[in-house]
Amino acid sequence: MSLSLTYEGVGKTFDPSGKNPVRALDNVSFRIEPGELFCLLGPSGCGKTTLLRCTAGLESITGGKIFYGDRDVTSIPPFRRNIGMVFQSFALYPHMSVYENVAYGLRVRKVPEAQVRVKVTEMMELVGLPDVLKRNPSPTALSGGQQQRVAVARALVYDPEILLLDEPLANLDAKLRRHMRAEIRRIQKITNITTIFVTHDQEEAMAIGDRLAVLRHGVVEQIGTSDQLYHNPESAFVANFIGKMNFFHGRVSATTNDSVTVETAVKGVAVTASGEKVRIHGDRALGREVLIGARPEQLSISRTKDPHGLPGTVSIIQHLGQFVRYEVQTEGGIAERALEVDVDHLIPDLNEGDPVFVRIDEKNAGVYDSEGER
Amino acid sequence: MSKAVIDTKESWIERILKKDWTPYVVFAIPLIFLSIFLFWPLVTTLLRAFLGPGFAMNFENLGTENFSRFFTSRLYQRSLRNSLIIGFAVVVTTAFIGIPMGYCVARVKMPFKNLLLSLGILPIIMPSFIGAFSWIILLGRQGVVRLFLNTFLTPLGIEIPSIYGLFGIIFTMSLALYPFVFLLSYGAFSSANPLLEEAAMMMGSSRWRIMRTITLPLVIPSLGASAILVFIRSIGNFGIPAILGGEQYVLPTLIYFRVNGFWDLNGAAAIATVSIFITGGMLLLQKFVISRREYETISASRSEHKLHTHWAARLFATLYCGIVLLLSMAPNIAIIIMSFFERWRGPYPEGFTWNNYLRIPQVISSEIFNSLYLAVSASIITAVLGCLIAYIVERRRPKGAIILDLAVMAPFILPGIVVSVALLSAFSSGSILALGGTYTIIIISFTIRRTPYVFRSVVASLSQLDETLEESSMISGANWVYTFRRVSLPLIMPGILAGTILTFATLLQELSTTVLLYSARTRTVPIQIFAAVQDGFFGEGAAMSVMLLVTVFIVVYIMNRMLGRSVSSSFKLG
Ligand SMILES: Nc1ncnc2c1ncn2[C@@H]1O[C@H](COP(=O)(O)OP(=O)(O)OP(=O)(O)O)[C@@H](O)[C@H]1O
Ligand SMILES: [Mg+2]
Repeated sequence: MSLSLTYEGVGKTFDPSGKNPVRALDNVSFRIEPGELFCLLGPSGCGKTTLLRCTAGLESITGGKIFYGDRDVTSIPPFRRNIGMVFQSFALYPHMSVYENVAYGLRVRKVPEAQVRVKVTEMMELVGLPDVLKRNPSPTALSGGQQQRVAVARALVYDPEILLLDEPLANLDAKLRRHMRAEIRRIQKITNITTIFVTHDQEEAMAIGDRLAVLRHGVVEQIGTSDQLYHNPESAFVANFIGKMNFFHGRVSATTNDSVTVETAVKGVAVTASGEKVRIHGDRALGREVLIGARPEQLSISRTKDPHGLPGTVSIIQHLGQFVRYEVQTEGGIAERALEVDVDHLIPDLNEGDPVFVRIDEKNAGVYDSEGER
Repeated sequence: MSKAVIDTKESWIERILKKDWTPYVVFAIPLIFLSIFLFWPLVTTLLRAFLGPGFAMNFENLGTENFSRFFTSRLYQRSLRNSLIIGFAVVVTTAFIGIPMGYCVARVKMPFKNLLLSLGILPIIMPSFIGAFSWIILLGRQGVVRLFLNTFLTPLGIEIPSIYGLFGIIFTMSLALYPFVFLLSYGAFSSANPLLEEAAMMMGSSRWRIMRTITLPLVIPSLGASAILVFIRSIGNFGIPAILGGEQYVLPTLIYFRVNGFWDLNGAAAIATVSIFITGGMLLLQKFVISRREYETISASRSEHKLHTHWAARLFATLYCGIVLLLSMAPNIAIIIMSFFERWRGPYPEGFTWNNYLRIPQVISSEIFNSLYLAVSASIITAVLGCLIAYIVERRRPKGAIILDLAVMAPFILPGIVVSVALLSAFSSGSILALGGTYTIIIISFTIRRTPYVFRSVVASLSQLDETLEESSMISGANWVYTFRRVSLPLIMPGILAGTILTFATLLQELSTTVLLYSARTRTVPIQIFAAVQDGFFGEGAAMSVMLLVTVFIVVYIMNRMLGRSVSSSFKLG
């Protein structure tokens, strides 16, 4: 039976009375469902590790409460919480054999030797390393991927109620990483333990997580499934962090109940974001500076003058297998970076250096606050 | 929310019971030990300094008479002056010996570098009072080297002075303490960022100018640290001035004289107080003057220093280092020769004999037992205490851990004889806990003095130890005592062993603390050697010294062989 995990206004300030206190977590509140594989995603230094360590009890929180199921664990030390954790460095004990490493949590719990043997063997089979026990080497003699599996086995062997993984794949090479994330998902689904998986790799998070939370400066920006985060990002930050997003500067020139018209910096070119999927966030007062966001596949290119198109110059053409990516340099400060436009087929006779017009799919464009960095 | 309701019902008693108190209990053990055996003795020392002369703790004639002797007594003034002269002079001479040596070994292409570096630490490990003793053999009034040199120099109107007195003290201390400067400046010169120097070279600076404006300022923090260390060691040293001082007293010998000659512990307490203030002042000076000038000298880039390869530089470096090493080793050779003879006055030793060695079992068997017993028990206590404090300070960090941190380092600035004065002040017969003349008081003094070494060595290994190993153990359900036992302890064992064995080796030769604390029952080998030298039984003293030197050497050698590799090997995976 798995537990839910609830955060109620959790805050963490390092060195609160010192010279420069660091506010690593600020009023974090959300709930992870029993048996869920939940991803914490965010750029470096946003507080992912801190939230995980607070969940484990390795750091004491400076505000709010944390519940495992109904049990308030806020002031309970880590060793009374019955959790499992896999560290980025794996933290295998170099002075113990693989068997003893995996058995460690059972030894602590004074489980009889016969049962230990059964449990350890079972776990090593689950993580796909049944043969390693025959030689039973020191963990230092294992490859990165094997160490990773041993670390997972060690964390699961005593049936913890919660499993915490802090960038468990960061030390592996790219290919192994993709393989291991599927493995972790498989194991998690078999054991059905409520799991938090920390990563700063959005692709990894989207591939593995049932739901994910995007953290920024210690604040939860948005929570949802990967589909929700990709298609309905609530802020420019999330939009840019999950997948690619092109942004245009503009000013609100007209609003209705379900649409916003934004005047771009190019004279006479306005974009009216409307339609079902459009998300309009924040204050939309007339004249306000906003950002229009569109995914690369939501832009199109034409070579003929288009009254609703933004003028620019093709700078790079990349063939990426399934699609072709055009990078278009715009003028007059419409966009800060070159636009990325993905189209299905190569456009004939369009070369690097040619002038083009980029059009935004108005049904899919989003309007975001221009405040705050992306 | 229902959870919130449940939570407010939980009483404060429950909350206290739920809390994990073991860290605090363990925290209390070293704190209590240090309070009783360090803080309290220091407080009583300070108190006694203001009492009338004698051993008694009576508050009737309260006053500053003990201190006023520094203004009225010529002996006191001379001792203070001598101590300061010696301190500064030794800082200067060790700098002159050690810095060029460090520079040569770091920057000149020369042979035997590793040998120099490993032999270089020997003078630190070997007992300095034995060095003083052997210099008497070589440079005493009838010393062979002195007579030899004087036959050449007298016609020129020069005479080598005898080793007794200030000159001899400074000379011997310099040879005993230069390794600190040598090793620290070697470290600084070999790690200072070579890119800075190369940049200056490209801008056309001369070598000397680079040395003056770039290299020296970069290594000054290390040099400052070693200078302070040398100063504190030299003014705290008891053995050398006790053997070579003659009429010239210094603060430690004055303390000894006060207690043993006048039976005036309170007077000694005042001298001890003054000496604590001097060393304390030096440390503050270092903190505020030198550490402020710390620069980033260790570069991330692994750029190598260009070594000097000119033949003259190489010749000079080899000769210079060779001579220093020879000078610091010469005493050991002299003492070995001496141990086989009855006398050595004049050019040749006389009266070859095995007796000096053969008599050892009858003369000092109980002293040998005492030395081993005291050193072993103190080493064990020191290891446990040092580990515990290191673990608390480095890992648990409860509020107040800083007290432990400071307390455990305090003995670094307390000379051995000051520690014994403090312990006598608190525990001499008549006090609540009378320990005078017991093994216990010596073991305590050893423990207080040596805990910093084990502490440092354990802190060093702990900081090498990946903390997530311990966290991972806690997550697995182990409380921190279990974690310490199963995870931390096995992994820092090499560090603990290294610190403890080194402690054991130094305790075998400890003189300055025991000299005030021993009784007829608790005499040790160093005390016996000291007495033999003072009474002029050089042959016997030399044989015992050789025995001690060999023992210490073997212990250190075995430690190096056993732990050399495992100490340096990292504990981290991957
Ligand atoms: N022990 C500490 N003392 C002070 N500040 C800390 C401490 N640990 C973390 N911080 C600060 O808290 C913030 C969040 O750090 P955290 O390690 O949680 O980030 P992260 O999201 O895990 O980053 P990364 O992806 O680089 O691992 C950072 O600003 C960091 O500097
Ligand atoms: Mg992190």
